[in-house]
Amino acid sequence: MKNTKILAGVGLLLVCGAGSAMAADAIHGNEIRLGLYIVQYDAHADDITGPFVPKGLNVNVKNVNTAYVAYVRRLSPNFVLELAAGVPPKTETTGKGPAMLGSVPFDGQVISTAKWFAPTLLLNYVFLDESSAWRPYFGVGANYTKFYDRQSTAAGNAANGGPTSISLTSSLGPAATLGVRWHLQDRWSLYASYSYSVVRSNLVANTAGVLRRTHIDFNPTTLVLSVGFAF
Amino acid sequence: MRVHSLRLVAVSAALVLAACGNDSPTSTIDTTSTARGTLIEDPPLRIASLDAPTLNAELMASAAGQQLLLVAGAPACGVDFNYFHYWTVGGMNETATASGALMVPTGGAGCTGARPIVLYAHGTDTNKNLNLADITDPTNSEGALIAAMFAAQGYIVVAPNYAGYDTSSLDYHPFLNGDQQSKDMIDALTAARQALGHVLASTTTDSGKLFITGYSQGGYVAMATHKAMQAAGMTVTASAPMSGPYALEAFGDFVFLGHVNLGSTIFTPMITTSYQRSYGNIYAATTDVFEAAYAPTIEGLLPSTMTVDSIIGNGLLPQLELFNSNTPGNGDASSGSALLDAYLAEPSDPNDPNTPLFRLGFGTSNLIKNSYRIAYVADLAANPDGAVPQTNLLPAAAPANSLRQAFKTNDLRSWTPAAPVLMCGGAGDPVVFFPVNTLLMQAYWQNYAPQLPPGVVTVLDVASAITGPNDPFLLAKGGFAQAEAAIDAGAGGGAAGFQARVSSYHSTVAPFCSAAARGFFGLF
Repeated sequence: MKNTKILAGVGLLLVCGAGSAMAADAIHGNEIRLGLYIVQYDAHADDITGPFVPKGLNVNVKNVNTAYVAYVRRLSPNFVLELAAGVPPKTETTGKGPAMLGSVPFDGQVISTAKWFAPTLLLNYVFLDESSAWRPYFGVGANYTKFYDRQSTAAGNAANGGPTSISLTSSLGPAATLGVRWHLQDRWSLYASYSYSVVRSNLVANTAGVLRRTHIDFNPTTLVLSVGFAF
Repeated sequence: MRVHSLRLVAVSAALVLAACGNDSPTSTIDTTSTARGTLIEDPPLRIASLDAPTLNAELMASAAGQQLLLVAGAPACGVDFNYFHYWTVGGMNETATASGALMVPTGGAGCTGARPIVLYAHGTDTNKNLNLADITDPTNSEGALIAAMFAAQGYIVVAPNYAGYDTSSLDYHPFLNGDQQSKDMIDALTAARQALGHVLASTTTDSGKLFITGYSQGGYVAMATHKAMQAAGMTVTASAPMSGPYALEAFGDFVFLGHVNLGSTIFTPMITTSYQRSYGNIYAATTDVFEAAYAPTIEGLLPSTMTVDSIIGNGLLPQLELFNSNTPGNGDASSGSALLDAYLAEPSDPNDPNTPLFRLGFGTSNLIKNSYRIAYVADLAANPDGAVPQTNLLPAAAPANSLRQAFKTNDLRSWTPAAPVLMCGGAGDPVVFFPVNTLLMQAYWQNYAPQLPPGVVTVLDVASAITGPNDPFLLAKGGFAQAEAAIDAGAGGGAAGFQARVSSYHSTVAPFCSAAARGFFGLF
């Protein structure tokens, strides 16, 4: 519901601001952007290893939408520094592999939820001059992801064989983005961007002292629709 | 008998992507207490959960499983296989960890709620990695047997792997040490009772009824546990020791007199290592007992991560030859006594059908030195056991040989049951001789516990004839006879059939005695 409201807000701004770009607006050094993060994972994990683990057990990660917020600092007419983050999304992990482990459903079951704090720092090159209404840009930078607030589901506990604690290493990896700005008027702009980050982690699950491990490449791609306010 | 091969099932290990940043996994090991019977992880890990149809389907997937189902019946309950660790002690009362299986029935009425517990003691296993809870292991035939026989019929099963096995901190196994093994069983039971109510199948609870059973080594351990729990004032509803070496001194003397049992080259190093580590006086050096080819590696050889075939193939143990066929006074130097030389001679009685079996235990790749055998037999001649030859049925009053002293210490002709006992076995067992163990215990109680009310001790020989349509053990006897006939026919009958029946006899008895035990427990 929250994401729907944000999307609606972005749409309203698109309508209200259409055709009102003003090339002669003042130059501002800072900008705050708010919008929608549409995160799609193309997760690839090693099969899980450890005691009492059958072959072919794996995991998947469900896509998620969340609120996007970023602070942008103008460095020059063509370079900006973007510190982007989302409201940490609650991400659901599903089992991938056999339909049943004994009599316990596995494949496709939501076995856990977790929140991600994943700020990304990007140095963006913005094409054209600052009077242009449309300005495409690209950027490169780094993503840091920290995982927290684990909630193992009943299905997860059943599949793991009991209450499970998880260790998931934080990730630091490169990130890149492609986007376009549409200047609406004065301090307001609209943005659309497509980003990719390298997010990798080593996971260790502990169930009653028994450890199981895997390595996961999350391969998140994000589509961001946002509105920016310069000041 | 390899009862099964449940192929699949590993539940577990769905790594949950729910994260805790960089936090290291927190161990749930309770390091606050190492007291006996303390459950180390609470709740323990559930390795697998099978509902009744799934368990049935898994067993039906193999010929051995199908045979087991014929004896055990179709599962009435599902089974959760929990794997727990607990604190216990070793043979010198040293603190040790051990692990075991807690099989919890699941499903509807008759499976959940207050259910009786079967405390099960497993048989001799050379596999150090033995884990009865791991039903995903296709070699875990004994785990499958007790799951189908007891847990799938509504009994909570507690089955320790024993100290010295699996992840145990003990670097040896106190094999046939009655004091240690009964403590191990009691500690496993105590820990498992702590876990009940905390495991995932938490609606199955302890009714308070306790049954003890086990096979072969486990038959001995089951009886030793009954004895220890009775002495401690703990509740035992009934027990059913099966095919166990209860009268250890008599059994040992019988073997040293040349009646070599199948498996003796496996049992002997397990016994000597156990008693050496527990009592410290079996030998000053392994070469006191064992031939030079085996002595350097014999202590601690078993249980092992190597297969028996590898152990024998690598020359670490002989396959069958326990004693030298050049016996004292007959190919080797005389013991100095004509009587002892006669005792030590290879069995040759043409009227004893077991003579060929006994003679398999003699050869020139023998395990035990003649010098040690002479010393042992000299002591049994000087301080005879009352059952070998049969006199007063009691263990020797004061054996001088340290191995015989250890046997006497652990001999179960030392107690009288208060709760009902069913001793089950097969009269022709070539591994654990029935007469010198089961029948001797029965005779011992008949002679020395005349106050025992009728029905407290029941003996079942599954190889005995069915007494009629009302024979309470009709199915066990009939099933065993059919199984023997099938083995004989499968080997082509004749000498090959006989050999096949003899070599598999001990394991063939197991499911039928287990079924009889379940029927016996159902009376209470």
